[in-house]
Formats: sequence, C-alpha cells, structure tokens
Amino acid sequence: MYRLSKLRFGFPIGLLIMLLLDGSLSHIFSSQMFNYPTVMVSHLVVLWLVTAVLYEENVTMPLGRWAIVAGAVFDLYYTGIFGVYIFIFPLVVYVTRIMVTYISPNFLSGLLIYFIDITLVEGLGFLASRVVHMTVISGSSFLVNTLGPTLALNLALYVILYFPIRWVYNWLN
Amino acid sequence: MRKFSFNRRLVIIIVCLIVSFALMTVSVVIRNKRSTPPLIQQFGNDIVGLADRVVALPANGLSGSVSSVSELLNTYQENQQLKKQVSELAQTKVRDQTLAKENKQLNQQVKLNDSLTDYTAVSAAVITRTPSSWQNQVVINKGSSAGVQKNMPVMSGSGLIGRVAEVNKTNSKVELITDNNDSANRFAVQITTKSGATVNGVLSGYKSATGQITMNNITTKAKIHKGDKVVTSGLGGVTPKGLYVGKVAETGGDDYGLSTKLYITPATDLTDLNIVTVAVTKQ
Repeated sequence: MYRLSKLRFGFPIGLLIMLLLDGSLSHIFSSQMFNYPTVMVSHLVVLWLVTAVLYEENVTMPLGRWAIVAGAVFDLYYTGIFGVYIFIFPLVVYVTRIMVTYISPNFLSGLLIYFIDITLVEGLGFLASRVVHMTVISGSSFLVNTLGPTLALNLALYVILYFPIRWVYNWLN
Repeated sequence: MRKFSFNRRLVIIIVCLIVSFALMTVSVVIRNKRSTPPLIQQFGNDIVGLADRVVALPANGLSGSVSSVSELLNTYQENQQLKKQVSELAQTKVRDQTLAKENKQLNQQVKLNDSLTDYTAVSAAVITRTPSSWQNQVVINKGSSAGVQKNMPVMSGSGLIGRVAEVNKTNSKVELITDNNDSANRFAVQITTKSGATVNGVLSGYKSATGQITMNNITTKAKIHKGDKVVTSGLGGVTPKGLYVGKVAETGGDDYGLSTKLYITPATDLTDLNIVTVAVTKQ
C-alpha cells in the first residue's frame, strides 16, 4: 500500500519542510523564543514523526529510516555536532511505537505521548550537550528555563496542528 | 529466547551509545581544529541550505511585511529623531573621509600596507537559526566562495555579534556571543578610559539573566567608568582592530577581590538579526 500511495513522496517532503520551518520559526520569533534565560525550542519535525506513528493504521511507513535521515540533516545543518539527533529521532519513533501498542492513539492520548517524546528529545539533547561541553547549565535550571517553556510551546503547537496534519495525511493516503 | 532478545537489545543500545559518543567527539575535534568541515558535510550543508532558502524566503518575507506594518506606526517620531542624527552624521562622515585619506597618505610614507584596522565587509542575510537552546547559532547565506573563513568576526548594525564557526561553500554558521560554550566569545578587546589609558582584555562569557557580556581578570590600576566604549583590539590574528562591542555597564571586583570584572551591554540587539556583516581580513 505504502509503495502506491502519495505518502511515499509526501512524507519525506513534509519532513524536510517541518525541519526547515523549525529553523525559520526560531529565526523569525527569536526575540520571543530565545528570551534569555527562558528558551522555547520548536520541534515541528518531532511532531511530524510522532503524528505519523499515531495515524499509521493500515499503512506501515519506514519511519525509523526517515527519522535517521532527519536526525543526520539536523546534526549537520543546524548544530554541526554529528551524532546527537541522528540517534534521538529514531529512538523517539521507537518509543512512540511501543507506547501506541499500549494506548490506543487519539487526540488526548497523543498529547500525553507527545509530552513524553518532547521530554525525551530535550533531556537527551541536554545530556549530550553537557557531555561535549556545549553548555554548562545545571540540571535544575534546564528543567525550569528550557524544558518547561519548550513543553508548553510544543504542546500548544500539537493542539493547533493535530487536525491540519491529520488532514494532510488523509489527503496523502 | 526472551533472555536472548533482551541481551541483543542491550548490546544494540550500548553500541549506539558508543558510536554516538565517538561521532560527537570526532565532530567537536574537527570543528575546533580544522578550518572547514569534511567535503561531504560541506556538500550536504550546501544542498540543505539551498532548500532552506526556498522555505525561508516566504517565511522571512511574511515576517518582514508584518514588521513593516508595525514600524509604519512610529515612523513619524523616528523620522524626527533621525533627521537630527543625520545632520550630525554628515559632519562626522566628512571628517572621517579626511582622516582616512590622511591616514592612507601617512601609511604610504612609512610603507605600511596593511594595518590591523583594515578589513573588507561582506554583507550576508541570515537564513535560519539553530532550533536548540544549547547553541546560539545562525546560518548566513555567504560561504567560502565569498571569501568567508573560519573565526572571522561578524557584525550586525553597529556592533559585534559573533564569529564564524563553520564554513561551507555557499553558507556558513555563525556562533553568537550569547553562546556560553568554551570558545564562542573569546574576543580580544580594549577599553580606552576617560583619562586616556588603554586597558586590554578578553571577553569571557555571557550573563543570560541580564543580557550582558562579561570580561574577567583585569588587573590594571586604570579607573574604568560606566559608559566607556569597548572595541576589539586586533590582537591575536583574525579579528581586525576597532570593531565596536558595547559599553561598560557595571564594574566590580571578582570573587576573590584580586582583579576587576566588567559587565558590558552589547551594542546590538542579538535576538533580531536579519542582515549581518562579516569582517574579512587579509591573512
């Protein structure tokens, strides 16, 4: 089914657009999002991957592979530190797939799953940056200044974009 | 059978962790040591940068039109203030031209070709910003083909904003001085005090709570006042002399009372960057 549907090309194109929109949003709203010390980071690319798992009912997509590609592009183009998000993004897809087998996905349970995913992305990203000395921020100020605002922003984006993205998937499928 | 699959998963996790650490270490070393990233990475970055321009163009255009509407509202007041400044500026500019000419003639007389203040400005547009809270980085649309090299200082508006961290063919990454990692904001700077003494030093960090740059370990006896201007000193190579950094906001002793610590207000708003200038020096 996947081979024949428009998703085969539509999904990667959407993934790339979401990845680049993350950067554009951060640039355009940088005075609001990077209002130090409070930092909000948009993770639209994670939203695209997670919603793909949520809507994946009868078509199986090679999400893990695309997550690796997205992570590689993220590492090379945005951060310049290779080897961080290339592992985190596939892990998010894997964890989401496990959670979906226990909780049937709908709007509200998806919100919970997305909450866990964003915490995972930000937490592991923080640990990796601590390891390579990209940051010296303590764990407690990470929780207050970065994780909290980031969760707020991304859950708001989830609520706004859940139905539009589902519409896009249905149209592609 | 169950035990086997658990072990296999554990092995996969450990292998992933080791590979991840290895890759991170290698890329950090490459970033610190080499002037350009590996060719394949450059190529990939150039392609993604090209695609990003397609996405960034409408997004930035939209934000530009929204901000131009909001700017229209206080245009009148701004116009009044700017008119005053322009009349002062004309005078300064003429004087500046005369001085530059005189300087050139004097340099010719003493056969000095390039001095520390010489640089050519390459202006570039900001394409995108790293969506990460650990790296304050922007991607600009000029690369090695426009003469940009690693470690060159980048300015926006009137002041210094950061340095080039990675150069590809058609785009490059700029690390802002708000970035607090080990190498982002170590610029050699100097302050000329009101009494005429010159104080040299190195920028040492960024205090995110107040938005000020810090400068540590100053052991001079000269009295530094609030409002003294901080400029780059040109010592240490790539950065030319005389790029404006900001004004001294606060002076104080360091934690042990041995040296002075300064807080500097940056000259430009570091969250609102659209057009930046790379100071290209001859090396």
